[in-house]
Amino acid sequence: MPPQLPVAAGDSRRWEAASKRITSQRDLQRFLGSDALREFMAFLRALNTAVHGRLLSEAVPCSEAVTHLQAILTQLWEWVDEIPPLQQSLRYGNPAYRTWLQRVIQHAPEMMTQLLPPNLSGAQSELASYWVDSFGNSTRIDYGTGHETTFAAFLFCLARLSVVGHSDAPALVMRVFAQYLKLMRRVQTTYWLEPAGSHGVWGLDDYQFLPFLFGSSQLIGHSSLEPSSIQNDGLLKAHAPDYLYFAAVHFVRQVKKGPLAETSPMLNDISGVPSWNKVNSGMFKMYHAEVLSKFPIMQHFLFGSLLPFPDS
Amino acid sequence: MGAPGVDSPWKDLDRQIDQLMKCSPLPEAEVKALCDKAREVLTEESNVQPVKCPVTICGDIHGQFQDLLELFRIGGNCPDTNYLFMGDYVDRGYHSVETVSLLVALKVRHRDRITILRGNHESRQITQVYGFYDECLRKYGNANVWKYFTDLFDYLPLTALVENQIFCLHGGLSPTLDTLDHIRAIDRRQEVPHEGPMCDLLWSDPDDRCGWGISPRGAGYTFGQDISEQFNAANGLNLVARAHQLVMEGHNWAHDQNVVTIFSAPNYCYRCGNMAAIMEVNESMRKSFLQFEPAPRRGEPEVTRRTPDYFL
Repeated sequence: MPPQLPVAAGDSRRWEAASKRITSQRDLQRFLGSDALREFMAFLRALNTAVHGRLLSEAVPCSEAVTHLQAILTQLWEWVDEIPPLQQSLRYGNPAYRTWLQRVIQHAPEMMTQLLPPNLSGAQSELASYWVDSFGNSTRIDYGTGHETTFAAFLFCLARLSVVGHSDAPALVMRVFAQYLKLMRRVQTTYWLEPAGSHGVWGLDDYQFLPFLFGSSQLIGHSSLEPSSIQNDGLLKAHAPDYLYFAAVHFVRQVKKGPLAETSPMLNDISGVPSWNKVNSGMFKMYHAEVLSKFPIMQHFLFGSLLPFPDS
Repeated sequence: MGAPGVDSPWKDLDRQIDQLMKCSPLPEAEVKALCDKAREVLTEESNVQPVKCPVTICGDIHGQFQDLLELFRIGGNCPDTNYLFMGDYVDRGYHSVETVSLLVALKVRHRDRITILRGNHESRQITQVYGFYDECLRKYGNANVWKYFTDLFDYLPLTALVENQIFCLHGGLSPTLDTLDHIRAIDRRQEVPHEGPMCDLLWSDPDDRCGWGISPRGAGYTFGQDISEQFNAANGLNLVARAHQLVMEGHNWAHDQNVVTIFSAPNYCYRCGNMAAIMEVNESMRKSFLQFEPAPRRGEPEVTRRTPDYFL
């Protein structure tokens, strides 16, 4: 967990809406060497460790904040029911997505306020910037690993504010993040979001990264499932409900037509890695190099007082 | 040319084309020689390359080699059918190397029968992010082939003009280019710049809003119907044909038939479920569209699993 922000009751600190700060390779390099990034990575490692060897179906302690996060994600899910895709087939992305996201934006202030204790209500707008940017881009009707990273940053900010604590770590992955993934898969397929900056077959996946990272941690030390088990459709389906990694590959198999070696050579290659431990440590290296160090992604990343850009 | 035989000057090239049609990449040295010959051919072409009818106009391919073969089955073989490709041969798909090698070989073999324009992905910068670079490394073990091709891309013509009536290009119009002569005056032999007229031709999109707009892509502009009408009238054209955007039916009319979008990669990225299309323009300049679906695959591609460096 990141160091908690020293916030006293009735604190008069100034909160700010988070904003984009990376406009050049130099900015990106500064971010890569910053305390903010170190703390963010430490947060991901804490979450990663918290789900070592654990199944999604296991009972985990859920604090009030976690229950609340699940409730607002459920609310977003229900809005998808209420906002069907429009009948149109010209471009790829469906414009009804904009209506859905508009509703997310409109309700963000109240949703964030409800999450926060009264003495921190000033953090609402800063938190809302991360929240609404976690669900894709309205103009381009697209979604990608940058948006997923913003959701992780949203959780990081909640930890900084002590809204969630160390004991919440397993639930943040196994409940909150798992539910976020389920929601985003539904949003992707309902509104046909274009993959933002997809590497096509040459990336891990068109839209997500973190389910492979957290998911490989869940599988460390498993007695029978190996990285090569994803090649077995029966195993894939049987274990998707319990493991984020299997669920992610299963989803790729459902939406992409063709042999895995051709549609997803990276996943195919990684299935040859001997242990989940190696997969998990590789995922951290790859996430750092292919997501956090890529300018086209990080130029959209948000900074504020909770996750500060260096020297600001 | 004379009948094929031992003395045909095209013997080697014809053999290479046969090999490529079987989706088998050429050895590195042959790619180098091919690119050298192609550069001589392309350097003589204009920024606004004149093309005669009948011709079949095609949009994005993105390394979907089996689908390119399907395109030739539907549209007729080159050189029996004349072709004009509007860029984006590489990135995202599994077979960018084979795709671009075949199109370049056909260009060298039948220079008056096939025209290949530059797309925004025919660029050093973009191919390093979106897959072609990784694919070359993987298939050749080094980046030489990537360098030969990306150096050649600087010579590709930017636009083509069919019978002085149909203006063809990858992206769209530019606020700095009112006439075809302005385009002819560009020095195109360079990497695609981040901004300016050459960038706009490869990046812009038509839009429902009038006038010029900021593109959500971060490069090029959006342009309205007023702009398209004005450009066509000023240059004595009746249509702008372009690619660059995924359209579900493979083609899409816009701006009261002043602009048409053509996209020739079916089920884009193995997941988008779109049809592909090509536009035939016959001897009397009548236009018709041929739609096609993904080609049936003949079993799994030959791949050897290779552990990515992150996981060693």
